[in-house]
Amino acid sequence: MVRWIPDPERENPQLLAALGLTGTDELFRDIPAAARVGPLGLPGPLEEPEVISAVDRLLEKNQPRKGLDSFLGSGLYDRPSPAVVDGILQRSEFYTSYTQYQAEASQGMLQALFEFQSLWVELTGMEVANSSLYDGDTALGEALLMARRLREGRYFLVPQSLRWERKSILSNYARGPGARLKEIPQDSRTGRLDLGFLEREARNDCFGVLVEYPDSWGLLQEDLPRLRGILGDVPWVVSADPLALTVLDPPGKWGADLVVGEGQGFGIPPSYGGPLLGLMAARRRDLRHLPGRLVGATTDPTGRRAFTLTLQTREQHIRRSKATSNICTNQALMTLAFLGYASAMGPRTLARMAGAMTARAHELARRLGTLPGLVAPRFSAPFLYEVPVEVSALAVKDFLRGLLSRGILGGVPLYDPRPGSPPPFFPGYMAAVGPATSGRSLDRYAAAAQEVLQDREGG
Amino acid sequence: MTFRQARYDEPLIWEIREPAGTDPVELEGVPAGLRRKAPLAWPELSELELARHFTRLSQMNFGIETAFYPLGSCTMKYNPRVAELLARRDALLGAHPAQPEETVQGLLELLYELEGALGKITGLPHVSLQIAAGAHGEFIALLMTRAYFEERGETERTEVLLPDTAHGTNPASASMAGFTPRELATDRGLIRARALREELGPRTAAFMLTNPNTAGLFEEEILEIADEVHQAGAILYYDGANLNGILGKTHPGKMGFDVAHLNLHKTFGTPHGGGGPGDGALCAGERLAPYLPVPRIKREGDRFRWDYDFPRSIGKVKTAFGNVGLLVRAYVFLLAHGESGLTAVTERAVLNANYLARRLGELLPRPFSPLVKHEFLLSGAPLKERGVRTLDLAKRLLDEGVHAPTVYFPALVEEALMVEPPETESKRELDLFFEAFRRSVQDTPENLHAAPQNLSVGRVDEVKAARELLLSWKDLRRRSSPAPEG
Ligand SMILES: Cc1ncc(COP(=O)(O)O)c(C=O)c1O
Repeated sequence: MVRWIPDPERENPQLLAALGLTGTDELFRDIPAAARVGPLGLPGPLEEPEVISAVDRLLEKNQPRKGLDSFLGSGLYDRPSPAVVDGILQRSEFYTSYTQYQAEASQGMLQALFEFQSLWVELTGMEVANSSLYDGDTALGEALLMARRLREGRYFLVPQSLRWERKSILSNYARGPGARLKEIPQDSRTGRLDLGFLEREARNDCFGVLVEYPDSWGLLQEDLPRLRGILGDVPWVVSADPLALTVLDPPGKWGADLVVGEGQGFGIPPSYGGPLLGLMAARRRDLRHLPGRLVGATTDPTGRRAFTLTLQTREQHIRRSKATSNICTNQALMTLAFLGYASAMGPRTLARMAGAMTARAHELARRLGTLPGLVAPRFSAPFLYEVPVEVSALAVKDFLRGLLSRGILGGVPLYDPRPGSPPPFFPGYMAAVGPATSGRSLDRYAAAAQEVLQDREGG
Repeated sequence: MTFRQARYDEPLIWEIREPAGTDPVELEGVPAGLRRKAPLAWPELSELELARHFTRLSQMNFGIETAFYPLGSCTMKYNPRVAELLARRDALLGAHPAQPEETVQGLLELLYELEGALGKITGLPHVSLQIAAGAHGEFIALLMTRAYFEERGETERTEVLLPDTAHGTNPASASMAGFTPRELATDRGLIRARALREELGPRTAAFMLTNPNTAGLFEEEILEIADEVHQAGAILYYDGANLNGILGKTHPGKMGFDVAHLNLHKTFGTPHGGGGPGDGALCAGERLAPYLPVPRIKREGDRFRWDYDFPRSIGKVKTAFGNVGLLVRAYVFLLAHGESGLTAVTERAVLNANYLARRLGELLPRPFSPLVKHEFLLSGAPLKERGVRTLDLAKRLLDEGVHAPTVYFPALVEEALMVEPPETESKRELDLFFEAFRRSVQDTPENLHAAPQNLSVGRVDEVKAARELLLSWKDLRRRSSPAPEG
């Protein structure tokens, strides 16, 4: 067994003796006999080398990613991160610490969180940002709840394109206040949001409106700059991709009330979907409604700059049932990855990268769009590095399976896998281009797609 | 007092370098109206500048590997290095959650094994790992509770009961899930079944309980409590934050709980990450199992897949499948300890707590029963005679190079300190902490008020922070606050 408990054979008896006890049983005499458990049926302990080989044996059962070209995205991305970023995460002073309840012992983490907040404020064009939520989807859930605190009403409007997972998570966050989601129709050809509907429904018992930037079909809404005027004073939530914000105008400029997002693409490996980083920025006037921790600058008695958690009266440990959220443990360490990645890459490199990926995604759309049986891009609205592809020739699942057998992870399907769910707006999937997507991998993708489609015709 | 923390006048990244500005980029197909116009005010640092910045910041931060960290209710145990090593394998880091199941069989098997083990440890066999942290688990379990009562037509059950010792997340989660939380007074730190019976009724949806509770006490009437809750038709919820005090001795299933969240970042040694990420698990018995989030892992022979076919499930509750990187670490912790190791964890944690409680009890009064589980309370009230508060004592302890205990929680103890010395701390460390504590308690009021003096900053002005609300570099620049000296 590993030695993480200091010398129990010698120290336990010493501690017992100091307590005047002869055995540990006496320490558990307050547990009623009828509540005691026998053996749990777990295996015995392992030495460290055995643990390593046991875990490696399992992980070796995964198909190595080396041989596969990946076009998976839909909010989570595999983008190479400079090694210096993981170096930051490996500082044990950061990763083994906890929340900065003792500010003086935690200035390092507090300053880093402050820098992170500053960065998200800068990217979104908003006024304030909190220091993380669990992930992009639960951040959206928290945004719904915050919008509900800002305004009475029953409905939260969401784009028709919204991924099924996000809808499901949002519906769960909506349960507490008894709120309902209502879908904003999108034009079946352009993908454009129905502004007439928005104008009407925003005034109809509605407490908030969500727009994604880009949306779950990869689309950018050209009407965003005019949306504030259409919505009046209804709380407006934008869910934005951080990389997109390096090249697009920030939602703060158009009067968004809340900007949430998933920060994983900045320095955090996909890691089978977690840990992630939930982002949230808001307007200063709404600060007291904001969920999550906030770091502020102040001074010590000598006037030296210092940082501390602030406005904690919003939080559960002070306000309890009246708190703005129940969140306690958050994703603080991941903000260091975000900050480290952003500072190492710099805004110019990231913007260039976003531009190059966008060009490549358009190339992919052209290549796939010429194949009979596929429509790519599915809509005429502008898009960045993620392409909506419609598959008309065969089931999406079978098409993607065909691609996989040719070494291509072709994309993320749009259907809701729960039995009995309504079909998606179009039978298709999202293909994401990454910084490492080469011209050669596009060739392989197009060739594989063609083969799968031809096989289908043949048999 | 020989401890001195590093003290750098470390600038913000914006003060290290001017923002570089942005060059126009080609952005195919995107109309001018959407393209970014204002350049991003955001500096790009060289790798060395970056590494140095964060190394210096890290040296102004206490972690478990820097200092004894007896933060009560948080279980700040050693985070095994081998878990860090294994959680950085490519097969994990590179895996995208949308990959077809046949390409991630190893990970699915690992998660399946972890679920199975947690089911046995809690006695609640139906497990979801799609849980970000403890509070998230509370919220989700209460949504499941809602779904359960809605299905039964018992919609009048709108109230969630909890003891006054409950962690703040409990009432906050109840509100978030649309219930009305109501706190019950405890008797010498404990819930009495008879008193509880008076409070339960047809409006009660759930009773939330931590056991051992946040006073470090085992709820001795737990079996009677469970009977009362079930007779009232309500759900008994286990807040698993304190599981470190009972591993292998009892478990929520045996105690009669219907559902439990676990904080794997506490009991199972995964790092707290400066506030997060943690990793949660939700373990349910038969009553609530049908409502657990989807998808759930299904084993078919020697293959594993995600199963979405749970028609009564509340659906999805978080992106993807959970904090898998952390779950792998928790699995490493479990493998290494095995069944006997888990019992050894609890025995030592409880031994450490009782030993340290006995010693510190010489210096400050301890409310309630002398026998505790893995943590204990002290009251700093007697210090008030000398004009000293628990807050001063906490700051003074930092000067000794140890982290302070949790302070001012739970609220029912005046000037509370909550101390948790996990199983990974040696007797020597506990004795050193006792000495540091003694020096601190016995120091002069002047020194206690002036503490801390050995850290990177002196006592931080929180009132000013809340008044000025300087929350970003932009705010600082606008208000042109004092720049760092030097
Ligand atoms: C007793 C108790 N319950 C619940 C929680 C919340 O857990 P988490 O921080 O993982 O959300 C905590 C955490 O500090 C706790 O101590």
